[in-house]
Amino acid sequence: MSSQHSDNSGLGAEAMNEYVSVRIGDQLFGAPVDAIREVFAPQSVTHVPLAPDEVAGLLNLRGRIVTAIDARRRLGLTPREKTETGMALGVERGNEIFGLIVDSVGEVLRRPRAELEPVPAHVDARWRSMVKGVHRLEKELLAVLDVSAVIGTAGQTNKAA
Amino acid sequence: MDDLISEFLTETAESLDVIDAELVRFENNPEDRAILDNIFRLLHTIKGTCGFLGLPRLEAVAHAGETLLGKFRDGELAVSPPMVTLVLEAIDQIKVLLESLEETGAEPAGEDSALIAKLEDAAMGKLEGAVQPDAPQKPENWDEDLGRELRPGEVSLADLEAAFQSADVEPANDPGEAAPAESAPVQHLGVGDFDPELGRELRPGEVSAAELEAAFMSADVDPGNEPEAPKAFITDDMSHEEALQSAMAELKGVDHVAGGEGGPRVQQTVRVTVDVLEGLMTTVSELVLTRNQLMQTIRGMEDEELKGPLQRLSAVTGELQDGVMKTRMQPIGDAWRKLPRIIRDVSTDLGKKIELVMEGQDTELDRQVLELIKDPLTHMVRNSADHGLEMPADRVKAGKPEKGRIKLSAYHEGGHIIISISDDGKGLDTKRIGEKALEKGLTTHDELERMTEAQIHRFIFAPGFSTAAKVTNLSGRGVGMDVVRTNIEQIGGVVDVASTAGRGSHFSIKIPLTLAIVSALIVGCDEQRFAIPQLAVRELVRVGAGSEHTVEKLHGARVMRLRDRLMPIVDLHDVLGVGEAYSGGEDEAAFVVVLDAGGRNVGLVVDNVLDTEEIVVKPLSESLRNVSAYSGATILGDGSVIMILDPNGLAGEIVSAMEEEAVNDMASASVTELAQQTQRLLLVRAGGTEPKAVPLALVTRLEEFEPDTIETTNGRQVVQYRGRLMPIVPLGSEIRCTEGQRLPVLVFAENHTAIGLAVDQIVDVVEERVDMQMSSDKQGVIGSAIIKGKATDVVDIAWYLDQSRASDIQRRSASRRRKVLLVDADAFARRMIAPLLAAAGYDVTPAGGMHEVKSIAEAGEHFDALVGDPAALDRIRNEGMWTNLPALAVTDWPEDTPADGLTVVLPRSDRGALIAALDEVSQEEKVA
Repeated sequence: MSSQHSDNSGLGAEAMNEYVSVRIGDQLFGAPVDAIREVFAPQSVTHVPLAPDEVAGLLNLRGRIVTAIDARRRLGLTPREKTETGMALGVERGNEIFGLIVDSVGEVLRRPRAELEPVPAHVDARWRSMVKGVHRLEKELLAVLDVSAVIGTAGQTNKAA
Repeated sequence: MDDLISEFLTETAESLDVIDAELVRFENNPEDRAILDNIFRLLHTIKGTCGFLGLPRLEAVAHAGETLLGKFRDGELAVSPPMVTLVLEAIDQIKVLLESLEETGAEPAGEDSALIAKLEDAAMGKLEGAVQPDAPQKPENWDEDLGRELRPGEVSLADLEAAFQSADVEPANDPGEAAPAESAPVQHLGVGDFDPELGRELRPGEVSAAELEAAFMSADVDPGNEPEAPKAFITDDMSHEEALQSAMAELKGVDHVAGGEGGPRVQQTVRVTVDVLEGLMTTVSELVLTRNQLMQTIRGMEDEELKGPLQRLSAVTGELQDGVMKTRMQPIGDAWRKLPRIIRDVSTDLGKKIELVMEGQDTELDRQVLELIKDPLTHMVRNSADHGLEMPADRVKAGKPEKGRIKLSAYHEGGHIIISISDDGKGLDTKRIGEKALEKGLTTHDELERMTEAQIHRFIFAPGFSTAAKVTNLSGRGVGMDVVRTNIEQIGGVVDVASTAGRGSHFSIKIPLTLAIVSALIVGCDEQRFAIPQLAVRELVRVGAGSEHTVEKLHGARVMRLRDRLMPIVDLHDVLGVGEAYSGGEDEAAFVVVLDAGGRNVGLVVDNVLDTEEIVVKPLSESLRNVSAYSGATILGDGSVIMILDPNGLAGEIVSAMEEEAVNDMASASVTELAQQTQRLLLVRAGGTEPKAVPLALVTRLEEFEPDTIETTNGRQVVQYRGRLMPIVPLGSEIRCTEGQRLPVLVFAENHTAIGLAVDQIVDVVEERVDMQMSSDKQGVIGSAIIKGKATDVVDIAWYLDQSRASDIQRRSASRRRKVLLVDADAFARRMIAPLLAAAGYDVTPAGGMHEVKSIAEAGEHFDALVGDPAALDRIRNEGMWTNLPALAVTDWPEDTPADGLTVVLPRSDRGALIAALDEVSQEEKVA
């Protein structure tokens, strides 16, 4: 989608990973560009009573019903203030579109694939199941999201012990 | 080749269905040549194609079947049921082979020599060699020679004709007048080999009778091509004229079919995959929604320039929607096509005579819906034939015609289609269904007593009511009817049954025409909107704020009076856990949506009712699918997403919750009477202004009777209630009837008797800790307690029950309630027995173990009798407690229990015996 800006993609493009940088709580995350269908501002999310906690609700994205998943809840962080709507990453899985609600979306980052480091073993198990690795940026760490795992319903996420 | 095979499979499956049905018809009308010709031709076509596609096994079976049919056709064999059965067997075998072909893409290994031998024997039966070569010869020649020319050779009804034409015309490859005619069938065959030349004319190309006619005309005019023709389709020994004639005969056959079963296929049609249609439907649905959205946006504006085009857009969208919907419509006859065959098989197997009448086959409905009801319908018809209809002899005995009749009909009503399946058999066996329901734990004796026949019949739809293995135990219906119900409810439909013993049963199914777009009621609840499918909505009722209807509470559960019946009410706020439930206050208004949930009315309280709207149902995301309250989601005209409520999901929760609660309360309330826990009391007024309290758990139900229905017989007041006379006893000094006002009556049912206690007014239900302040010497009163801050008499139900039982000679002295110690380690058993004893007028002290028993003994309690399991009673005796008291043992194995030291040993299941024995021993004791 919006990531077609690469003039210098000719050299070493294969060795680079592209991420949409997003902020969830205090942490900077990177969502692999190829896992994201689009980025949009979620509007008028319909709350669904009785739904699992992480389901923030349903919304209408150009005539399609999108299930909004609250990334904060999935990661076990404190819920956002009601007034903050955040941004959504559209993720397509099967015939369904999910919207992963994050606090904010930044620029697209390119990092050499070789620099991706494994998640340290003492990080909370929940996070480890949803984070594929870590890039060291100058100022902070970029945690690479396993978008599918974050979206995943309970049944699908506990695939690994 | 794969395409060819799949095309072949589709076409052949349709042909086989027709053959099934036609064979059954043929059996009944063996003189009807047209039917036989049709069958013969279809089978022949299948055989030919199998040869062409290289499916030897199928071909061999089809060939053998055809040979036999050929004998019928030539009049060399008489048609008889065993013969037809044999041909049907061959058809079944073809189906089996096709199935495996569909799965694996190849014929299964093995061979069918046994079946073929049977078929051949049958064919040989009456005649020998001479004629036999005749029938098979034609096809054989055809197969060998035609392989290539046949290339177009896909099979359809029109196929033979097509073949005739191409045989006649094609060799010349005459680009002239013959071409267009030829083209049509070829295109229909879907092979495309002939396309290059004919491409353009071909496109619309479907076969119609007219086109075929044209083809024949051209064939006729062009005899120059004849030399090549025989290779194609016509056997050596046939002249051109003969060929033509037989072709015309076939044509007639086609027409015949068109008029009968398979109409749509022979009309001008194009095959389109279902996916394309589904895609179109989705797109159109989106378009409709966008249109709605646009209309809503524009509604407020006065923009003439926009209005015109928008109006047109709207109209065109509507037409498009209708058009697309039509492409999805199929006649329901398609789902019925297999039924004649099934009925035939059942009647042959069971020796029954059955007539199947079908009405309204042309009624159209969405193909998706059609697919979903196909199996349930088949199942129900089979049930009717199998279990509903009696054997011929029994029918004659019952004064009915020997031949049973099953009638299927379908018609449109509103946005729904109503399908009914009725038979004139013996009807449902109410008694056995009741027994079965008890056995399965679906109901209790008491409940069963209170049910109407229709209610009992509905048990056949209850989950787990019947399993296939046990069907034979129940000579009524019920094989997997719960599955039928589930299937029908899944598509938002409703199924019901009406049955009259000896007269037959009638099943009716009401389903929406389409699943894609449904009409829905939009309701508001706590600032949110929800959609409820209109199909499930029976009516809307306004409550509170000046409305005559109010939501009342009974036993903590909400109910509403609707046309003299109590309807359970659920609050959507409660169900969804949002906002505050409707208080039921005078000035607070709300709406009750009366939902049809599995045949019973359930009211759903919502804040308001906003609109009705056509909605497109979207499936739920995985993460929401197991929330039973919803069936889907939808996007409204204004673009917002709302949830669609599932009435069955909502009501299912309600109903089961209610039932569970009721059971629990019944079991525990009387026990807690002495345990000094809170208990639910019904406050009534009778004979005076001060309230009286009745433990609610003892009340079976509340009724109201018109004063004039109360009759006096033998000095007692009675009312006709559920087919019996129920004595009515006043709780006050007399029954006070006010003209025009219904008399509230508390009904107590025990075993098979029911007693009504007339009161002046039902005041309230309270849940309180009953602290008996004073015991009473007054007859019919246990004592007084403070309830809701007022001194209230607690009614001694047992005394009143005795009052009403004239037959109960051993009327107990009401001055003192007899006390019973109930000892049973099994908590459930205690909960079962305690209310029973309490209802019979005993004070029950339950104890679970020796520890409790000892502390009760230390407290110096006195009892009149001990009831419990034999082991516990033994231990009590051994401990030396209450050794002088009668001890009644209840156990599941009375015959294995030594009665040493016990007064009597009784089976746990026999409630009556226990009460009787208890009455007896306490009587004896008094005498002693």
